[in-house]
Amino acid sequence: MAHQAAPDANTRLFAPGFAGHSQISARTLGFWLYMLSDALLFTALFAAYAVLDTPMNAAGGPIASQIVNPVEGFWQTIAILGSVTAYSLATVALKTGNRAGVMLGIVAAMVLAVVFLGFGFNDLATLTAQGNGMDRSGYLSAYFVLILTHAIHMLFGLIWMLVMLVQIPRDGFNEMVVARLLNLRMFWQFQATVWVCVYIYVYMIGA
Amino acid sequence: MAGSHSDPLAHPEVRMGGAMRYIAGFISTVALMGAALIVTLRHDMGYETYVEVVGGLAALALLSQAVLFYGLDISRAQIWKSVSLILTVPLFIITVGLTVWMFQSLDQRTMVMPNSAAAATQPTLLQ
Repeated sequence: MAHQAAPDANTRLFAPGFAGHSQISARTLGFWLYMLSDALLFTALFAAYAVLDTPMNAAGGPIASQIVNPVEGFWQTIAILGSVTAYSLATVALKTGNRAGVMLGIVAAMVLAVVFLGFGFNDLATLTAQGNGMDRSGYLSAYFVLILTHAIHMLFGLIWMLVMLVQIPRDGFNEMVVARLLNLRMFWQFQATVWVCVYIYVYMIGA
Repeated sequence: MAGSHSDPLAHPEVRMGGAMRYIAGFISTVALMGAALIVTLRHDMGYETYVEVVGGLAALALLSQAVLFYGLDISRAQIWKSVSLILTVPLFIITVGLTVWMFQSLDQRTMVMPNSAAAATQPTLLQ
């Protein structure tokens, strides 16, 4: 067995250039672990929603069945899954180093994400205009926070995509750009996973 | 974890993507959500049965995403993602389950519903 030095102050977690280390794998695993902790944030929001989803916590305001539309939510589901599929297909083009294919997939993903967000923000704006904003009741606070937290994640993903649209033509598919594209794929797929939970729990069981 | 590659595009996580797999992920998830929507619109089940059915469809959709979108498996490139997810899933269940259980108990013992008629028309997990 080869001798290994004991860890000390000079020990490095990752050593660039060392044949046994993959920078891309280290980055994607680290980002995956971040996403699991992010999923726990959503879990806490779902728990809060479950507790506040009662007529008493509606405080005389609307309850879930009065504000959600499962059919409209289905169109949102198609939009976000289409966006995730478009981005995932962009990473298929990445296999051959096809810059145009990758960028086309990212743009398609962005367009579908904007459609998804348009539905969501329209719902929230309509509710607010009717006097049923997030400060109307405990239930509406939980509803708005859950939907907005997901929407903010989506907006962050859109900004990330814009950055990649700059970095791909500028830097090409170097190790850092590829790692970012792979992390963004996981992040984007994660948004669809969260939405499936929101759609089932809020839009269907609530209806 | 996979070994180092001089060509980033040769990395296993880049190579694992496949158009057919992603399209299958899209179709299967949309189909499962469509089935859940039909069950919801028909309104012909008891509340508990309905929750079990749509919950089962959601679980299948999430499993489909894990396999077809995330590509989770026990390969050398993906094993630690799969293991960390399996270890985290019980935390999701415990967090939501215990919270609902605690507040259900509280709801039944201490909280008086101001409008019991409204409660009857809108069953929730707490009830």
